[in-house]
Amino acid sequence: MNHSEQTVRRLTDKERIAKVQSEKRRTAYQLTMLSIVGILAFLLIWQLAVYSGLLSSRYVPMPSDVIRLLFEKWSDPNPDGAVLGVHILSSLQVALTGFFLAIIIGVPLGLLMGWFKGFDSFMRPIFEILRPIPPVSWIPITIIWLGLGLQAKAFIVFFSAFVPCVINAYTGIRQTSEILINVGKICGASNFTIFRKIGIPSAMTMIFAGIRVALGNAWATLVAAEMLAANAGLGYMIQQGRSFARPDIIILGIVIIGTLGVIFTWILERVEGKVLGWKK
Amino acid sequence: MKKEKLFLSEYEHKELFRKRIYRFLPVLSILLLLCLWLLASSNPMSRFPSPAGVWERYLKILEKPIKDLGLLGHIWASLKRVFIALAFAWTLGISFGILIGWNKKANAIFGPIFTAFRAVPPLAWVPLVTMWFGIGEFPKVLIVFVGALMPVVVNTQAGISNVQREYLDIGTIFHANGRQMLFEIAIPSALDAIFAGIRNSTSAGWMVVLAAEMLGGKSGVGFLIVRGMDSGDYELCLLSMICIGVVGYLLAIVIQLLERIICPWTTKKSN
Repeated sequence: MNHSEQTVRRLTDKERIAKVQSEKRRTAYQLTMLSIVGILAFLLIWQLAVYSGLLSSRYVPMPSDVIRLLFEKWSDPNPDGAVLGVHILSSLQVALTGFFLAIIIGVPLGLLMGWFKGFDSFMRPIFEILRPIPPVSWIPITIIWLGLGLQAKAFIVFFSAFVPCVINAYTGIRQTSEILINVGKICGASNFTIFRKIGIPSAMTMIFAGIRVALGNAWATLVAAEMLAANAGLGYMIQQGRSFARPDIIILGIVIIGTLGVIFTWILERVEGKVLGWKK
Repeated sequence: MKKEKLFLSEYEHKELFRKRIYRFLPVLSILLLLCLWLLASSNPMSRFPSPAGVWERYLKILEKPIKDLGLLGHIWASLKRVFIALAFAWTLGISFGILIGWNKKANAIFGPIFTAFRAVPPLAWVPLVTMWFGIGEFPKVLIVFVGALMPVVVNTQAGISNVQREYLDIGTIFHANGRQMLFEIAIPSALDAIFAGIRNSTSAGWMVVLAAEMLGGKSGVGFLIVRGMDSGDYELCLLSMICIGVVGYLLAIVIQLLERIICPWTTKKSN
């Protein structure tokens, strides 16, 4: 039977690739549109629910109010006593101090504990005793130690970020491939050289995973610390919003805290890509 | 008494000696920690509580309860909030995680909103929630719920969407329908990820309940800490910190046991 050539003709490779690619692009496009629609719908339902009186505007502000407040708050210190910029700077100062101290102290500590057995059996018990105590519960004790200033809050943030840094550096360096270590030994490297040239680079992925967790912890603990004891900062701002019964200030604070958190994570991912580029 | 003497090379002697030292070091470090504590408390200026003071405070709280609840009563009050919140967080979180991990469209719709909510630390909701619901039992459970929900959803979603391609292909070869693919392939193979979420959510829940109680409560260990801080009773602060640490540690052990019972095949992987 002489079937018509056109209908049975197979797709050439190029055509197939083009077809698959265009399909992929179409689904990706559809999914992005769905995401945008989802967010817009959420905001719209929220706005309408308040606008129509379904939710009382005394308790829930409209999204449009929050956006307006975002612009006003840059220059208006009422009612919590500081403009938005001051709050953000004060929070950043505390969070970054604690966070970087945690990395500088925690990562080397974890690495040394993971590599040198004697150091491990010395430090491990202390670490295991202090670890299960949540950082927030250190607040009263730190206040007696260090007073109410930057140091106390930075210490609490430090403690919350410190634990994941140590744990990940520790497990990371423990997972160093035995084969690589043996190669180092055969080539006559000293224990310390193996630690520096083989152990640390191979623990890098885990270390970065730990730093990512530490960042989240630090930011979350910062908010708690500022809510309990502070006179500036984003946590203080939302706590004051509660005292003044201003839900729009609370929501604005929450949104800014969330946004800053996302920005930090993004920066960290960039840094990780730069530092760990050789691994991929 | 006759003692058999083994011949040991120099290297083995060294090794034996080192092992003995390693066994001795943990004791030394704990002693050092205790010494530091004593040193910190012996300075009269610092008002840092001493170990003996904490022990006395412990005996005192056994006789004289605070707000009609003994130490165990307060611990139980906190634990009850955590357990209620965890029960809801696990059921809702696992189902929602499966939904957005399995269905791409659902992920596209709810994913971004969820990510936005996840970026906010759970404690930041405290002012809003107290404004809406007052400072009763419900708002605290709600905040713990929010704090415990996030890790469960994230881990479940990651587990479900990272099921090995081969497993699903085999399912396709054997003509599995969508329901079988999900319940008989995807969920069992994601169980260890789900359990990682459960583990994280338990420790997160315990931390959040503490903070929520510190920000306003009439019972629970977090309340004890704030009570100690407000009345200058720092022994009470330290005592509650110790209790919190111990309970947190026990919770972690219980979850680990649970994991070993429910999915024994995952323990090998996590070690």
